[in-house]
Amino acid sequence: MADEAHLKGLLLQGLAGDDAAHRAFLTEAAGLLRAFFRNRLRGAPEDAEDLVQETLVALHTRRDSYDPNYPLTAWMYAIARYRLIDFLRRAKHRVTAPIDGLEIGDADPEYEASDARRDVTALLNRLPEKQRRAIQLVKLDEKSVREAAEETGFTESDIKISIHRGLKTLMRLMGQEQPT
Amino acid sequence: MKTDHLIDVLARGAGPAEKPRWGGKLAITVIAGLLVAALLVAIGLGVRPDIGAARMPVMMKAMFAALAAAVVLPLAVQLMQPGRPLGWRIGAVLAFLAICAGAVFIALMGEMPERRWEAWMGGAVPWCVVLIPILATPTSALLLWLMRAFAPTRLALLGAAIGAFSGGVGAMAYAMYCPTDSVAFVVTWYVLGIAVSAALGAVVGARVLRW
Repeated sequence: MADEAHLKGLLLQGLAGDDAAHRAFLTEAAGLLRAFFRNRLRGAPEDAEDLVQETLVALHTRRDSYDPNYPLTAWMYAIARYRLIDFLRRAKHRVTAPIDGLEIGDADPEYEASDARRDVTALLNRLPEKQRRAIQLVKLDEKSVREAAEETGFTESDIKISIHRGLKTLMRLMGQEQPT
Repeated sequence: MKTDHLIDVLARGAGPAEKPRWGGKLAITVIAGLLVAALLVAIGLGVRPDIGAARMPVMMKAMFAALAAAVVLPLAVQLMQPGRPLGWRIGAVLAFLAICAGAVFIALMGEMPERRWEAWMGGAVPWCVVLIPILATPTSALLLWLMRAFAPTRLALLGAAIGAFSGGVGAMAYAMYCPTDSVAFVVTWYVLGIAVSAALGAVVGARVLRW
């Protein structure tokens, strides 16, 4: 695959601490994942976008599970497939609405991001207070970990752990929540 | 939240990722699981009374169980992380099973025809099929918890591998109690006990390993 070496380079740089490379990795991964999920969930672009977001959080929180001795795309798509199977299993348990307005042949070849069905911001508010606060300060208010530590009175490693746990909880919430 | 915004959120201040160190944790898990199983045997079943004289067969049986666990371990480790090929690791398990079947056959052919059935069945109810999975649970519970943290994606298969590995560990402890030493009996029923443990692991793993 043409993207393999490039994507792998970005992820490895990100793992080493380069946030810009990690951001670039997630952005490119999002494009590939969008194509992957839209191909498999035709007529449900919002569901596909939900899965893109869910998988991005999974790739991020579990990025240490990548072993550089193996292909990156195999790792990424294994996680994507896992999230898709989990989604389909959840979908089986809920009442499905009739698919009105399903139009075939209307696929957007550019795969532009459509709106996701679920609101991640609302899910963030359901996190335990400490995790929510750490994510709010560092991730949304753009403060450094040190500033967040000073403001809350927690240690810096406490803040980092809270963010990591919070994102893992977020992914679980994304999986549990039943879109209507 | 738009996906681009989510990416910003994830990447901001991400910093370096910690390297996963699972080797040490795995070793501690196995030792802890083996100790608990040995304790269960010592308290619940009682060590076989002739353990002093039967040191050799007990050692051999424990080694066989350890070998079974060792054969499954590469598969479990590979399944722990997403998208890693299984390849020869499945082949190793199948080859081990084929060797076991061959060993049972050769051992039975060495017996007198009228004694074969007893040598195979041990002349009593083979409780090891029940006891080995029970003795496997301390190890498998710890392993399920440990491996869940590593984003497994083939849950039933990993659960089965964990169950089989833990079954091998449980059988090591069980060897201290097991009163039957016939090769055909031990190979057949230990492998079946481990297989039961693997089946239970597949069922439990498919639920418990979800993340």
